[in-house]
Amino acid sequence: MEECSIKAKNLTKRFGQLIAVNRVSFCARPGEVYSLLGPNGAGKTTTIKMLATLLQPTAGEAWIKGYSILREPHHVRRTIGLVPQDLTADDELTGWENVLIQARLYGYSGNEAEKRAREALEFMGLMEAAHRKVSTYSGGMRRRLEVAMSLVHSPEVLFLDEPTLGLDVQSRRHLWGLIEELKKQGKTILLTTHYMEEAEALADRVAIIDLGKIVAEGSPEELKSRIKGEVIHLKLRDPGLANGLAESLARELGVEAEPKGDTVVVRVQSSGETLPSLIRLVSGMPIVEIRIVKPNLEEVFLELTGRRLREEEGFDVFRFRVMSRRVRR
Amino acid sequence: MGATLVLFRREVKKWVGRRPVFVMSMITPLIWLALFGKSLNLYSMFNVEQPGFAEVVQRLVEQRIMELFGTLDYFTYLASGMLVVFALFQSAFGGVGIVFDKRLGYMTRLLVSPIPRVSIFMAKILGTLFRITILSAVLFAAALALGFQVKPGITAVDLLAAWGVILLLSLGLASIYATMAFYANNHEVLFAAMNLINLPLMFTSSAIFPREQMPSWLRAIASINPITHAADLVRYHLVGRPLSSYAEPLALLAAFSLTLFLVGLALSLRSLREVS
Repeated sequence: MEECSIKAKNLTKRFGQLIAVNRVSFCARPGEVYSLLGPNGAGKTTTIKMLATLLQPTAGEAWIKGYSILREPHHVRRTIGLVPQDLTADDELTGWENVLIQARLYGYSGNEAEKRAREALEFMGLMEAAHRKVSTYSGGMRRRLEVAMSLVHSPEVLFLDEPTLGLDVQSRRHLWGLIEELKKQGKTILLTTHYMEEAEALADRVAIIDLGKIVAEGSPEELKSRIKGEVIHLKLRDPGLANGLAESLARELGVEAEPKGDTVVVRVQSSGETLPSLIRLVSGMPIVEIRIVKPNLEEVFLELTGRRLREEEGFDVFRFRVMSRRVRR
Repeated sequence: MGATLVLFRREVKKWVGRRPVFVMSMITPLIWLALFGKSLNLYSMFNVEQPGFAEVVQRLVEQRIMELFGTLDYFTYLASGMLVVFALFQSAFGGVGIVFDKRLGYMTRLLVSPIPRVSIFMAKILGTLFRITILSAVLFAAALALGFQVKPGITAVDLLAAWGVILLLSLGLASIYATMAFYANNHEVLFAAMNLINLPLMFTSSAIFPREQMPSWLRAIASINPITHAADLVRYHLVGRPLSSYAEPLALLAAFSLTLFLVGLALSLRSLREVS
């Protein structure tokens, strides 16, 4: 039983006709950072809410450290810490007061509560700002306070729902460092994100989730190896030469080569093996730039679903169609 | 009990941190008292300083006013009623904090923690009762300063009893509004409900004018209005206006409040079972 810290089995949630989460099953092992990677609306938050006992699943079951989310929600709540996507701290109170209330809600009193509040705030680097009202905090500080509030009771399992959403690069990296630190302490962390860099940087294993379903699972390396080889971009000074170059590369090297404007895009097994002969072939051509793109999770997602991870800008007709198709079924 | 206390302390702390709101919430009742209560001077209306105006007529007028209002001073009558009406409005405001806790995510934080759900409801109700206690005391002190005439021989027991009556009424009212707030998704719903419920409740009670003067249909409504019973009981203790029965209004008020409290508690717990 203790093989999985978090175990989901066919977890399903319907909202009316919409299936937000569709038979999701996975197992996050103790001490592992397990990431749900997918675009907005993929069902990541709904999954976390079910695991955190905030939502009743329509079907399926899940266990946190062996406790059933359906039958033992009280034990589950003691075991987990949740950093929800939305900010939850009371901004009329200070950071200290927020964390202290949290410690008391978990049953610690007097000195023990204060000790835990101090430890959590110190760990998140907020002790200096602890006695200021939360309304004066920056975005990064508020996120860190959310994590501090979720840590006071030393949970073994931590749910982080888009923890760096809307943060600048510096605050994001800071938070990543702290999450790595928590991992070293042996916590099991379930991290949802739609930033593929975040999943790559932090996760031991990634489940790619789309339209409520897990479409692939594995370590970032395993997932990336699904994409064959690498991509070489050759940028030419004269766009008129792109067609001819693409044809001759395909013929001579037996690779996929495609002209795109002033650039020829070449798909190869390994850039290390192909580059020497490629360079020999193109010597004398007016090439202004050679760029090698290693596969990343963004491309894995594209390959699996035909779409990009981040599509939040504007109305997306394709996505809308897929959603409505899903509703009809 | 522990979690209720922790959350109750949060309510108090937040309220104390909002002193401007405290000041503003006192302005409305003070305007009622000082402007309305003081300008409608019943006694001087009939106190005609004129030779030949029979002393016996004067005494009859006084007697009639005393009979109806329990005091010759309308301000005192109104102020005792306003203590109750003020509790009505404060009970309604208590619900607003719940809506904000939901909207600002704090409720998620509470629901994911291993506290009994009932403590979330209880802390809100206790917070409201606490605010009403402090604000009523301040309002009463202000009324005294403006010339409130307490009944001769008033005791601490009378003050405590009046406080108890106000809290009993507030328990029921705060429960209704808290329940509405647990189901409402924005505070405007709550303000709309407040406008819909509070003013009719105030004007169909004995808080502003005595029941005896009302047309029969209005008197019928007033007799089942809990504000009437609370105002009558408070007035009995503070002003000395006699009651034909003490037990009856108290029993009706208690039945009203406890029913609403229990129903509100059950419904609120139901709403907390699942958040989306």
